[in-house]
Amino acid sequence: MKKYLTADSLFYILLITVFLIVLPLGNILGFVSNNTISLWGRYFCFAIAALGIDLIWGYTGVLSMCQAFFFCLGGYSIAMHMLLSATGKGVYSAAIPDFMVWNQVETLPFFWEPFHSFGLSLMLALALPAIFAFLFGFFVFRSRIKGVYFAIITQALALAVWLIFLRNETMLGGTNGLTDFKSLLGFELSNPKTKLGLYLIAFLTLCGTFLFCRWLVNSKFGKVLVGILDSESRLSFTAYNVVNYKVAVFVIAAVLAAIGGVLYAPQTGIITPGRMDVKASIEMVMWVALGGRGRLKGAIIGALLVNYLYSVCTSLFPESWLYILGILFILTVLFFEKGFWGLIEMLEAKLTGWSPAKGSESLKANV
Amino acid sequence: MKYIFYFLLVFALPMRLLAESSVNDTQIQVNTLISGSDSLKAVAINSLVASEKTEVYPLLSAINDKKLFLYNNILITIGEKLSSDIGADKFKILQVYPEYKELTSDNGNFLFLPISELKEVEFSRSSRLLLAPITPYLNLLSPEVEKRKLAYSQFQGLKDKAILPKLYSALAQEKHQEILRLGRETIFSIQLNSSPAASHKMWIDSLTLNWGPNTQSILEEYAAAQSNPELKNIASAKAEELQTKHERLRMFQNVFSGLSLGSILIMIALGLSIVYGLAGVINMAHGEFLMIGAYTTYCIQSIMSPTSDLFFWVSLPLAFLVSGIWGFVIERLIIRHLYSRPLESMLATWGVGLVLVQIARSLFGDLTAVRTPSMLSGGWEIVQHLVLPYNRLFIIFLSAFMITATYLVLYKSRLGLQIRAVTQNRRMSSCLGIETNKLDAMTFFLGSGLAGLAGAAMTLIGNVVPDMGQTYIVDSFLVVVTGGVGNIAGSIVSGFGIGFLFKMLESFFQAVYGKVLILTLIILFLQYKPKGLFPDKGRIGED
Amino acid sequence: MKTPFKSKTLYKLLSLMLVAGLLFSSCSGSKDSASEQEKSAEAASGETIKIGVLHSLSGTMAISEVSLKDVIEMAVEEINASGGVLGKKVEPVIVDPASDWDLFAEKSKELILDKKVAAVFGCWTSVSRKSVLPVFEEHNSLLFYPVQYEGEECSANVIYSGATPNQQLIPAAEYLMSEKGGGYKKFYLLGTDYVFPRTANKILKAFLLSKGVPKENIIEEYTPFHHQDYQTIVSKVKKFAAGGKACVLSTVNGDSNVPFYKEFANQGLTAAMCPIMAFSVAEDELRSMDTEFLVGHLAAWNYYQSVESPENKLFVENFKKFCEKKGLPGGKDRVTDDPICWAYTDIYLWKNAVEKAGTTEIEKMRPALYGLEFKSPGGLVKMSEKNHHLAKPVMIGEIRSDGQFDIIWKTDGLVEPEPWSKLTSPDKDCDHVSHGGTYTLND
Repeated sequence: MKKYLTADSLFYILLITVFLIVLPLGNILGFVSNNTISLWGRYFCFAIAALGIDLIWGYTGVLSMCQAFFFCLGGYSIAMHMLLSATGKGVYSAAIPDFMVWNQVETLPFFWEPFHSFGLSLMLALALPAIFAFLFGFFVFRSRIKGVYFAIITQALALAVWLIFLRNETMLGGTNGLTDFKSLLGFELSNPKTKLGLYLIAFLTLCGTFLFCRWLVNSKFGKVLVGILDSESRLSFTAYNVVNYKVAVFVIAAVLAAIGGVLYAPQTGIITPGRMDVKASIEMVMWVALGGRGRLKGAIIGALLVNYLYSVCTSLFPESWLYILGILFILTVLFFEKGFWGLIEMLEAKLTGWSPAKGSESLKANV
Repeated sequence: MKYIFYFLLVFALPMRLLAESSVNDTQIQVNTLISGSDSLKAVAINSLVASEKTEVYPLLSAINDKKLFLYNNILITIGEKLSSDIGADKFKILQVYPEYKELTSDNGNFLFLPISELKEVEFSRSSRLLLAPITPYLNLLSPEVEKRKLAYSQFQGLKDKAILPKLYSALAQEKHQEILRLGRETIFSIQLNSSPAASHKMWIDSLTLNWGPNTQSILEEYAAAQSNPELKNIASAKAEELQTKHERLRMFQNVFSGLSLGSILIMIALGLSIVYGLAGVINMAHGEFLMIGAYTTYCIQSIMSPTSDLFFWVSLPLAFLVSGIWGFVIERLIIRHLYSRPLESMLATWGVGLVLVQIARSLFGDLTAVRTPSMLSGGWEIVQHLVLPYNRLFIIFLSAFMITATYLVLYKSRLGLQIRAVTQNRRMSSCLGIETNKLDAMTFFLGSGLAGLAGAAMTLIGNVVPDMGQTYIVDSFLVVVTGGVGNIAGSIVSGFGIGFLFKMLESFFQAVYGKVLILTLIILFLQYKPKGLFPDKGRIGED
Repeated sequence: MKTPFKSKTLYKLLSLMLVAGLLFSSCSGSKDSASEQEKSAEAASGETIKIGVLHSLSGTMAISEVSLKDVIEMAVEEINASGGVLGKKVEPVIVDPASDWDLFAEKSKELILDKKVAAVFGCWTSVSRKSVLPVFEEHNSLLFYPVQYEGEECSANVIYSGATPNQQLIPAAEYLMSEKGGGYKKFYLLGTDYVFPRTANKILKAFLLSKGVPKENIIEEYTPFHHQDYQTIVSKVKKFAAGGKACVLSTVNGDSNVPFYKEFANQGLTAAMCPIMAFSVAEDELRSMDTEFLVGHLAAWNYYQSVESPENKLFVENFKKFCEKKGLPGGKDRVTDDPICWAYTDIYLWKNAVEKAGTTEIEKMRPALYGLEFKSPGGLVKMSEKNHHLAKPVMIGEIRSDGQFDIIWKTDGLVEPEPWSKLTSPDKDCDHVSHGGTYTLND
């Protein structure tokens, strides 16, 4: 009994049964509402981005505060495609998206052209953040900016791009962002079946990225990342090129965020610069911190749980939800250093006398 | 509408004759203004306008401004305002007719009353529009500085000398320095436009010497229209001369704006820097301590007498204390458990920030404003065309005071010595008998207090809203980082640097792009100096 | 590792219980969900009728939207005190979309699908309305939207009780051009850069051009959100106004207004010389502003607190009392304004339609809305016979020093709504009764 039902296996069993079987089946049979499905579908997108943050922050110890920007690059790319594929169906029946009509733009800006094709849009959605992260990461890590400096510099980046996206001149919808998507690859987005499909795709992508990340952290690459976390200077003395590893993990985290964004936009129906302001990036880091950094499952649990709480509390306690979330953050940070997942591990250890793997001990926070 | 015009056509002329005959008729018309019907009021206004009697100008001016009231059957208007949060705002009461003077209350002080105690004498917008043709004349004698300014500038560029006597007589009564200059400019420009060419050079020289606000454009326009090459050259040379002068002043103004923005950033960054240097905590709730300071000022304002400026001076130390105590309590309750985990402390303080914002929102609602003390409103004109607002000057002064005080505490006091020791090596200091625990709390008190003081000062330039702290917090993080984390001298240098650069860039680009550019510059700068201007050699310096 | 407290485990367990309790309490609220088709019917069959309130209570929009939530609560209290709707009490389900546009979409889904509300009252900004619109259309639910908007929309699932462009913009421009209004000939269109000002100015420009105002006498300009530095723009206005007979039509939004009016006065411009006609400044915003720079400038709305009628007197009094009683910030100093009036009217429109139809089911109560009349605080208003907009009076107000408005001009009767402006889209109209929404007139 003890051996089979560890917290680990319980996590997988619960995850699969609840999200892959109970909710979708329930939805088809009609006792789980479409809202619940699209809610969780969106949370999965956040969880994918959170996995990226866990890689770069939890495992490598580099705190990036611009992940929401990468998330939005993915989201905007796919949103641009969806808007272009729906041109002519808007209220103005124009050949360009509606917001351009009231902006009094007559022709489609050149950089919108590639987004006519789905394949190209998808590629750009992932390539843009990757290239951006590569260039930014390369220069920043090369000049050995680290710790708090890196955190603040990425925050400055997030602020700068947010300001640019807010402008109407950039032709990305300004404050209003992009909205009113009709269909994706011919599937009507308002159809409950499409929603369920997107939900399943999001969930499977989450599983895929989780497996990928697990493979990554268990590979030699992952060990080097933890090495960087433990002592960057010592690692560099042993002839590892730390910069390359950091750039690589930054790019991976950016792409993961972008994947989240790509799946997020069609499920939410809107993407605005509000998704990428300074606060948004901090919130993303909070999910990982609350779930348990340095633990991939922690990142997933954190993202799902915090967002679920956010949704629930803004409805149940509209006047006081900020107290609840704020106090929850404080309590978690104070008492559960390893986040929710750490708590689960602790409870498990209490109940079974089994202690978590020695390896994770090195993940003590010491950035 | 039309009937009024017919009415006027028939009656205005005879009325005008009547109006000229005696004061009594003026009195009759004034009485009509108080109690007549809308159309009669319009007629009365028209004949008062036509009478060109200057003694009714204050009255007409009050009508024009929609500020004519009846108080104890005296026609009055309202002057300067006394804001208050208890009850309604009060205004100074000025009699407008038959004599223009301030009213006094029984104890000899000027009379101040809330609007609710006055009875407004109402006029339709259309009858007030009848005053439009003489509005400039009315305004020449208006009690309000801005009105007079407007009046003079409206006469500029006229080609008709007929107006000059009125301007001369109005200007003779003028005492306000700036308006004197403007008035002379107006007169010279009219002279330039209407006199024979022989005297033009003289008027150009007078204009240049006087150097009013619009002189440059007047000269440029003149040069463009003038066909005489000699005069044209003189005018454009003078215009250019003024242009360079102006640019030099604008440069100076930018430097001043940069200084003032830099001071704000430094005020906020100081506390952040101290706390980080000593305790290694990035305090994400720092902006909220700022907010607490601002709300303290707001509370003091509501409690104390609204008529005096005292509330502001009282609230400065209190803002420091209140914010400091909040900081102290939060440090004792939460942050002290997190000293070994800096990034976690960042997240916890973020949570603290959320809660504090929500507390402020449920206590105060969403938008409140603090009155600027009259001592700090207005500005100081150093040289012609260079006005430095007092509130900005005060902020610069306050930040200089805060820097000095912090310096004294850190480098001249026993507490500061201990703080510096702990900043360099916590364990060793602890071994040597410094109570690091107590020191942490003290530092937090100091850091939060400084933020609170900054918040009180911020009420001078902005609204008080629950999330006001977040406006500046990212910028002050940047200041701290660019200066070298935990290094106070670095924060000061980088604070001024960023303030200057931003204002410089802003004068070339739009504000938003200026900001984006400065963020890019900071990122590039850190490429070159990854640990900021003055890399810290202490405990934090090692990775 | 440092331990904060001695009995670490105990504290951990304690806070765990806290978290668990929190989770549990929240789960119980949203887990029981059933298929959406029966939602409206079910809403009516319970002891109470639920209505959704979707206004931001935190974040940047809270400044404006909280007042609407307050007045909705007041209206519900009034209705419940007088016997409710169809004999049932009305229960407002208040959620906080936190000025987060994504959350608006999410919350509207939740209100419709999980809470099964009979109708939703909410939204302020155009972007929030655009973000929830697909949700309401998809689930065939009803949103009551109380704020003036840019038109060019004709959804079967939104009741637009705020003004359409022809109920606010055009009368204002007409008034300014009229002899009585001052006969202005030059127009400076200034706005914040988003969809309402852009569309509003497009329509205004078309109107002015059609009235023979030459192109060079119209200037259009936009500033970003939260813009604070109006020096350059006001000096442009000053230059523009130098020849006289010029006015500003302002769609400047929110906190930018204070610096704008201040700078306007600083540079010596006055309402007598160049009035600003504002489309986004109402009493609730003036409450927190220093009004001394604003006196004499104009605004166009369909309601002011200073409207003189017994209904309005009662309404204003009740609102102040309500705010004081509930201990809301501001208390008895609170004021009413145009959006507040329509948010209040919305509830009664819904109530009357439901009672007329005898059910909250949307398909049955929607027809009952057409042509419905209601004595609102702003005067008698009437739902259009064919679409979801209100016919109402238009009033021009002049700002007083106490932050209230003098109503200086008012349309004689009700102005019929034109969701598609005749000026910019002459071929389009909005008719739900015989055309199923937007249709082209040439057909």
